[in-house]
Amino acid sequence: MNPTRATTAIAATGILALALTACSASGGSADITAKPDFSGSLSILTAGAGDPMAPYFEGVVKDYQAEHPDLKITLAQETDDNAIKDKEKVLIGSQSLPDVYFTYAGNWGENFAVNGLAVDLSKQIAPGTEWGDSFGTAALDSFRYEGKYYGVPFYNDAKFMGYNKRIFSELGLEVPSTFDELISDCFTIKAAGQVPIAFGNKDGWPGLHYLGQLVAYNVPRDTIDADLAPKTARYDDPGYVTAMEQFQRLVTECTGDGSNSNGVTYTTAQQQQATGKAAMYYQELIEFDSVNTSDSQLNRDGFGIFQLPAPDGAKGDPGTLQGAPEGYMINAKSKNAPVALDFLKFLTNRENATTLSSPPYGQPSAVKGVVTEEVASPAVAEGAKLVDDAESSFAWLDMANVPEVADSWVAVSEGLVSGSLTPKAALAAVRAAAEKAK
Amino acid sequence: MTALQAPTELRPTSLEEVGRGPARVSRRRGPVRPGTRASAGGLIWLLPALAVLAVFVYWPLTQNILFSFLKWNIYSGEQTFVGGDNYVALAEDPIFWKALGNNVWYAVISIVFQVFGALVLAAIVESVRRERWRKALRAIYFIPSAISLTVAGLLFYFIYQPQTGLLNVFFDNLGLGQFSQAWLGHESTAIFAIIAMSQWQGFGYSVLLFSVALQRIPQELYEAAQIDGIGPVRRFFNVSLPLVREMTGLMMIVTISGAFQVFNEVMVMTSGGPNNSSQVLGTWLYHAGFVTNDFGSAAAIGVAIFVITLLLAAAQLAYSRKKRVEW
Repeated sequence: MNPTRATTAIAATGILALALTACSASGGSADITAKPDFSGSLSILTAGAGDPMAPYFEGVVKDYQAEHPDLKITLAQETDDNAIKDKEKVLIGSQSLPDVYFTYAGNWGENFAVNGLAVDLSKQIAPGTEWGDSFGTAALDSFRYEGKYYGVPFYNDAKFMGYNKRIFSELGLEVPSTFDELISDCFTIKAAGQVPIAFGNKDGWPGLHYLGQLVAYNVPRDTIDADLAPKTARYDDPGYVTAMEQFQRLVTECTGDGSNSNGVTYTTAQQQQATGKAAMYYQELIEFDSVNTSDSQLNRDGFGIFQLPAPDGAKGDPGTLQGAPEGYMINAKSKNAPVALDFLKFLTNRENATTLSSPPYGQPSAVKGVVTEEVASPAVAEGAKLVDDAESSFAWLDMANVPEVADSWVAVSEGLVSGSLTPKAALAAVRAAAEKAK
Repeated sequence: MTALQAPTELRPTSLEEVGRGPARVSRRRGPVRPGTRASAGGLIWLLPALAVLAVFVYWPLTQNILFSFLKWNIYSGEQTFVGGDNYVALAEDPIFWKALGNNVWYAVISIVFQVFGALVLAAIVESVRRERWRKALRAIYFIPSAISLTVAGLLFYFIYQPQTGLLNVFFDNLGLGQFSQAWLGHESTAIFAIIAMSQWQGFGYSVLLFSVALQRIPQELYEAAQIDGIGPVRRFFNVSLPLVREMTGLMMIVTISGAFQVFNEVMVMTSGGPNNSSQVLGTWLYHAGFVTNDFGSAAAIGVAIFVITLLLAAAQLAYSRKKRVEW
């Protein structure tokens, strides 16, 4: 047995801790209005490592470099979620955040904004400015903290149920309009020997996405908003328990692996639908073109989407759609902030936004009017329209909550899937985490 | 690995000495008296290593202890002295105790398989008559240890897969389908599935080390035992076991301290889930720091790991010294 296994984590914590001693509570914000110096350097950190996004950013950087040959650009790319989160925390600790860096909306972006790590872009991107008017207001508002705009929305994202049109057609099924109809369809699909919904919850957050949408349906929005803030959080609305019961019902009745789903990865489930082995799969808009590739069985069968149907009589907002844009911020201590701003304008110009929204990238740009059926795949275009048409949106539970509470939601999602937690016990665990975070 | 090299006092210096039986052989040069030029020269040669240790081990260790008394905001860098609050919170945290319990399971199972099991297997391998077979068996058992933990973790993730994993297919084909399950997906089995993988991965390494220790035992002792009519099982308990006691003690220390520092395999296979059921102290430390941004608590967990492994190693060393057998 190698005795140095934990060294990575302990050393990383130690290094970060050492670096943090030198951190200051506030820092002077970079002058975003100065004239850009294109003979300097620009560092960029994206969450687009791997296919299909890495080549996209490489292409954009190459084009920008061609326009500014004297500029030295450093492009670093990490994969989405854990890798980018860990990387950014280490960079914060070592005070080496790049000039331009990726951010999620919600609490993640808020931490950068309110702690002096991001440039206030209100004068450049707020609604009413030339650049700001090229984005939807909802997308801009996702990065508004304490009344200021800090983030540049890159693409819109939301969660939809993708379905196999051939399987639905062969079984005579219509797109379900209520949660009960969805469960009923699951029985029909199961009886025909097919997997109704592919589901892999090894990482906890796929289950959390179901829970987030069901919570938004079952709990009044004002209550949710109060519960998201540690100071006012109570987590005592019965709608939470109802949402958790519905989630457990869906896992039991609709998924192929049921309580074993914690042992299955998200990508395994993704493949189940791509290969035509599952009738449905709950996925993000930005995944559509990765699941429904031109050579996939799903593409031959026909790929459709619908919003997870709301339960009858739910006490929350049945018109809300779970999702949030992802975007980029400028380091408040950047020595080349004007160039960083110029690059972000280049990244979100109409041409690059169109390329981003087209296959094989298929990421629906946050730039208004770009995602059309002529540019994007039919599913991406439909998804983008549903995002635009949604009465309201609700950020992912693990991004909207403070880290301690978000983490308890992830654990709860796993406990509800395996059946080790009852909905009441699960809510108690979330409530306890919220109490601790006060 | 330097730490695991045979102590010089265990090595007979010649066959003649072995033939003479138990004998005290002068194993050291004359003592270097403090204050002499020789001792000063020796200290100078030690300085670079001491400096490296001080900078990269003892200073971070001291800093980590200091940080465990702080609460800070990673984003703003703001630090607040909170005294022992992080330790109190740790003591009240059920997942910390769950993680500690999982580490204890890890240690106990690893001792059974990687110390005692490996010793028995090493004795069996070393009793094989043909040298060619002995070498082949050592290599076969060692191969899993040459595989990186991350690769082994991914490999076992597929073996444990609920529907297509080899383990469940194996059970199904034996008509034992009722035992099939998501080994990594259930709270009751996840940590044991990870421990099982770890035994598979580390077993061969222990067998190899014990084989080396067994090879150093003079053959004459076995021959004498055989002449006295002692069978192979008793030869193992009365000759082999006492004479590899020092290696056994060392393996116990390495295994136990490794069990309390386990990290990679848990991160790769479950990240501590489901529902925190497979958290160990290492992953809970990472979790406190990098997931919930609580670096004060992470430092406190680091101190707890350090104290536990230090105490266990000290106890083991004291016990091994007391029971040392020389020949």
